[in-house]
Amino acid sequence: MSDDKLLVVKDLTTTFATAGGDLAAVAGVSFDLERNETLGIVGESGSGKTVLSRTIMGLQPRVNTTVTGSSIIDGFEVVGASENEKRTIWGTEVAMVFQDPMTSLNPVMRIGKQIDEALRVRLGMNRKDAKARAIELLELVGIPSPVQRYNAYPGQLSGGMRQRVVIAIALACSPKLLMADEPTTGLDVTIQAQILNLLDELKERLEMSVILVTHDLGVVATRTSRIVVMYAGRIVETGTTRDVFYHHRMPYTRALLESSPKVSNKSHTRLITIPGRPPNLLNLSDGCSFAPRCKYATDQCHLVRPELQPSVEPGHSFACWNPLPVNAEATLP
Amino acid sequence: MLRYLTKRLMLLVGIVFVISVGSFYLIHLLPGNPATVILGFGATPEAKAILYKQLGLSKPIYLQYFVWLGNIMRGNLGISFISQTTVASVIRSALPIDAEIIVISQIMAFAAAIPTAMRSARKPDGILDRVLGATSFTLLSIPPYILIVVLVLFISLKLGVSATGPSAYVPFATDWITNLESLSLPAFTLATVSYVIYYRVLRSDLIATLQEEFITMARSKGISQRRIMWRHAFRPSSVALLGAASVNIGSLLAAGFVVQYLLQIPGLGYTLILAINESDFLVVQGIVLTVSVLVVAINFFFDFVINIVDPRISRE
Repeated sequence: MSDDKLLVVKDLTTTFATAGGDLAAVAGVSFDLERNETLGIVGESGSGKTVLSRTIMGLQPRVNTTVTGSSIIDGFEVVGASENEKRTIWGTEVAMVFQDPMTSLNPVMRIGKQIDEALRVRLGMNRKDAKARAIELLELVGIPSPVQRYNAYPGQLSGGMRQRVVIAIALACSPKLLMADEPTTGLDVTIQAQILNLLDELKERLEMSVILVTHDLGVVATRTSRIVVMYAGRIVETGTTRDVFYHHRMPYTRALLESSPKVSNKSHTRLITIPGRPPNLLNLSDGCSFAPRCKYATDQCHLVRPELQPSVEPGHSFACWNPLPVNAEATLP
Repeated sequence: MLRYLTKRLMLLVGIVFVISVGSFYLIHLLPGNPATVILGFGATPEAKAILYKQLGLSKPIYLQYFVWLGNIMRGNLGISFISQTTVASVIRSALPIDAEIIVISQIMAFAAAIPTAMRSARKPDGILDRVLGATSFTLLSIPPYILIVVLVLFISLKLGVSATGPSAYVPFATDWITNLESLSLPAFTLATVSYVIYYRVLRSDLIATLQEEFITMARSKGISQRRIMWRHAFRPSSVALLGAASVNIGSLLAAGFVVQYLLQIPGLGYTLILAINESDFLVVQGIVLTVSVLVVAINFFFDFVINIVDPRISRE
């Protein structure tokens, strides 16, 4: 059984009721996560990564949203749980690092108070202990002179510092699962590595599992053990990081890999881009969502959607009618 | 913050200067001799001569202004030729009534607007939101001076609360129960006018704030909905509310005049209207000046509060 898994996601579907009709931002996603594992969720903008990561912890918008399937975090079924029930796991079991630290902190609340809050409300600490712990957390995430910073407003900190604060808040109640939704997209390139290394280090120190959501394969290459590749709300390929990078079968994964810059490239090498744009989720065809942009697409691809099927390596599967050969050329950014 | 407030203060000093010049110049805008305007038509030539000397009326106009300003600064607003008392004492007895009505009305308006706006914003398009939305929109589309007349008439006739007359007014310190009884109706009418604005402004800002990412972030901490509303959504949403209050209280002073006249309450408005009818020029001038300075002071106070509520404003 999967009793020991920290997270089991089964057939998870998130549908938004929009003016143009129902929109399935996440459609039938299944995967699981071991304790102390780091999993990468990769895909273009609009592929449903963010919605998926929020739905996993039950943080999807409360209106006009329908969730079906199952997402079990350490034995707690998130789907169908009320807001009050979910509150019992938020912060303590699962926490999230948001994408843009410019908007995810309350602009009119001192950062210390924003960390304190979780400690006092969720862990029942008193004012003094919570403050001491908040300062410890600020120190843990590498904020210099944490005692002074405790009283700062978010607007007085740089983007990198703010993201560190966001991480401190997420870590406040020692969650077992940390969802990091594009944690470095809103930051300067020079800061990105710092934040990612910090997350790595904290994961080891605090024995957490991490789900790293990103569009940047370079981010997940060395930090995750497994990768889920998403397209149009569905998983199109999943496997160990090694398999996804070296033995991918799905042309979309190949295209994603080719579109990231590589150190081994000569200067001024043109990046290969994926032609076309992600499909409109309001009118998807019955076939493979990637087919209109895929150079290998056949009639079958346009008419029938391929299901995930196992590849040769254990745990590696892909959804494609015309997969790349098993020994596809290795590409590593 | 200090720099920002100093800048605002300088601006307000400028505004007060312009107001003072305007009030001063009123006297010369009126037809006839300034001495006649001030003393009334029955004034003796001797009295006029004394006033001419006192105010330096034969000197150039800019020097007259400084004489006048010097008097004002010392609290000398002149003497009403009708009641033969100082204008300052007339204002001193009337002003507390306006202040009390406005303070009570604002307490009522905020006490009603904040919780209802919070509830509406939590469930936009819910039953409460629709009912309050329709009601407030109706009230908002009626000009306040008409709404006030209707409210006063409706309440005093239906509920039997009668207009009491200026002699029936009792100061708060003498008998606070009677005092509150007599001021509750005017305060309530002004509260209604204010509530409509406050409710709508706060509701729409709350709805916008609740879409913000930091609200989702607060949710992900596992704190209660109530706490999210009060600790995270309310404060960043209240800047426009305070701005609206700042402007509204200024116009309430004027709206209060209508109420006071209808209910015969001897506040500034009632006194002003009487003074206009009696051509008691110095009283008119004194009240205009007082109200203008008050509006400016209220604005400055709200600037200060807004700065505390949202520290981003003075930081850019």
